[in-house]
Amino acid sequence: MQGLPTREPDMKPDFSRLPTILLAVAVAFVIGAVVTGLSLPATEAGDVLSSETALSPASGASYPGSDISPSTSEPAAESAPESIPPNEVSLLEQLGSQPERSPVRLRIQAIGVDASVAEHGVDRRTGQMDVPRNVNDVAWYKHGPAPGERGSAVLAAHVDLSSQGPGVFYNLRDLAPGDRVAVSYDDGSESWFVVEARTTYDKDELPLSTIFSRSGSPTLTLITCGGGFNASAQEYDSNVVVYAIPLEQFPTPTPETA
Amino acid sequence: MKRMKLALLVTVLAIVPATTAFAQSSEGEVIVVHGVPDLAVDIYVNGDLTFENSTFGDVFGPLALPAGDYDIDIYATGADPDAGDPALAGSTTLPAGAVATIAAYLEEGGSPTLGVFVENNSSTDAGDARITARHLADFGAVDILANDGAVWEGVTNGGGADTDVPAATYNIKITAAGDPGTVAFDADVPLGEGTNTIAYAIGSVEGGSFEVATAAIAGLHESPSGVPTGDAGLLPGINPMVPIALAGLAVAALAGSVVLARKER
Repeated sequence: MQGLPTREPDMKPDFSRLPTILLAVAVAFVIGAVVTGLSLPATEAGDVLSSETALSPASGASYPGSDISPSTSEPAAESAPESIPPNEVSLLEQLGSQPERSPVRLRIQAIGVDASVAEHGVDRRTGQMDVPRNVNDVAWYKHGPAPGERGSAVLAAHVDLSSQGPGVFYNLRDLAPGDRVAVSYDDGSESWFVVEARTTYDKDELPLSTIFSRSGSPTLTLITCGGGFNASAQEYDSNVVVYAIPLEQFPTPTPETA
Repeated sequence: MKRMKLALLVTVLAIVPATTAFAQSSEGEVIVVHGVPDLAVDIYVNGDLTFENSTFGDVFGPLALPAGDYDIDIYATGADPDAGDPALAGSTTLPAGAVATIAAYLEEGGSPTLGVFVENNSSTDAGDARITARHLADFGAVDILANDGAVWEGVTNGGGADTDVPAATYNIKITAAGDPGTVAFDADVPLGEGTNTIAYAIGSVEGGSFEVATAAIAGLHESPSGVPTGDAGLLPGINPMVPIALAGLAVAALAGSVVLARKER
């Protein structure tokens, strides 16, 4: 449903007043709410399937320095209509639609990054994220959210390539909380993010479900390789991951003092 | 009230174990498909009017429902359920974690019937989409092609299948089995990553009401297994791999060791 109407946070129906009969929760695509013959409590039009993606920072992997609070739930839908409406006819066309805007450029002044961003999916041979061939380019994971949308938007780039030398994210490990990140989009718009945390994870312990989460507060997640290097395998043993949040959501440390 | 028991279908539905998406849940999901042409109906679930005045081609859901037993009774729109037998009726058990399609549709030959079909809501590999095709139309066997390659051949009324493919837009064709010249459906269909797109062929080809209705089970995606972004080892020295929260401690320790080193001189 991806690319479909934005997913709402997980919402639990109110079962406290639920008679032993049908409680129908109108799910994605069904705008308007619910029903039953009797007047049951109206429940939210939430995507129940996202209970799977509730991937609550799996493994409790809340990253260091996190001030990101759980998403606030949407208000309940209005009172129950007479009966459940059918899905909108345009469902078919919405199914594969992409996010409204796609990132095309990434700028991080603190580490001298000004790079083009292209959409990448999955390397079907390895099951890993597909990454740029050019050491100076940045990959956006196109199956997840775009930066600024709900969930974790992933931008990945090389720390280095033996064939090309140091990569555009060579200095990602130097980013620190408070550093600003700018993302430009294909519609000409631009959004700013603020680094909130940086963590180096052993590749075996990478919190993939958090990094690639499609629910939760908007997070921009920058990834490259780092840590120790296994020369014989020609690979790093870790990933450096930087979490940033939209500038407008950055918590103000102190109240404003005119 | 006379009920047509869908004993065989109920059995099939009941033995399906909860799958990943709902493993922790006591709910299942139901998709309701109205595939009987020229018949406006009220659909009652456990005696409650739930889908009012539904017409041919309507698709409802997926709708979350508590796992359990459900009676489905379908009456012509406005008919008093206490005054007569339903046009179609059945009962089924919805297991926790399952997604089931309940469809009123035409058998080959044109008789309306009610069927329950369990949909595949297991997770999809990163980058993949799933497509499910269900032949619920008054028509003979069909072949289903994606980008002109046969995916399923000889699918008959009441039959269906699913398969996972790389997420993309595909040209989907439905033709009479073995007769590529008789095309019943031809459209470009976007298959979203992590989504099971279900296509229901309904109506009557001969009667001119044939169409394909769709529903989608989303959120089945899995994450890529890693992010390979370096192979040269050009980073300076040995990175201590210290999480930022511990960076201060690391610096302090470093400073301490320097002090010790100097004292040892």
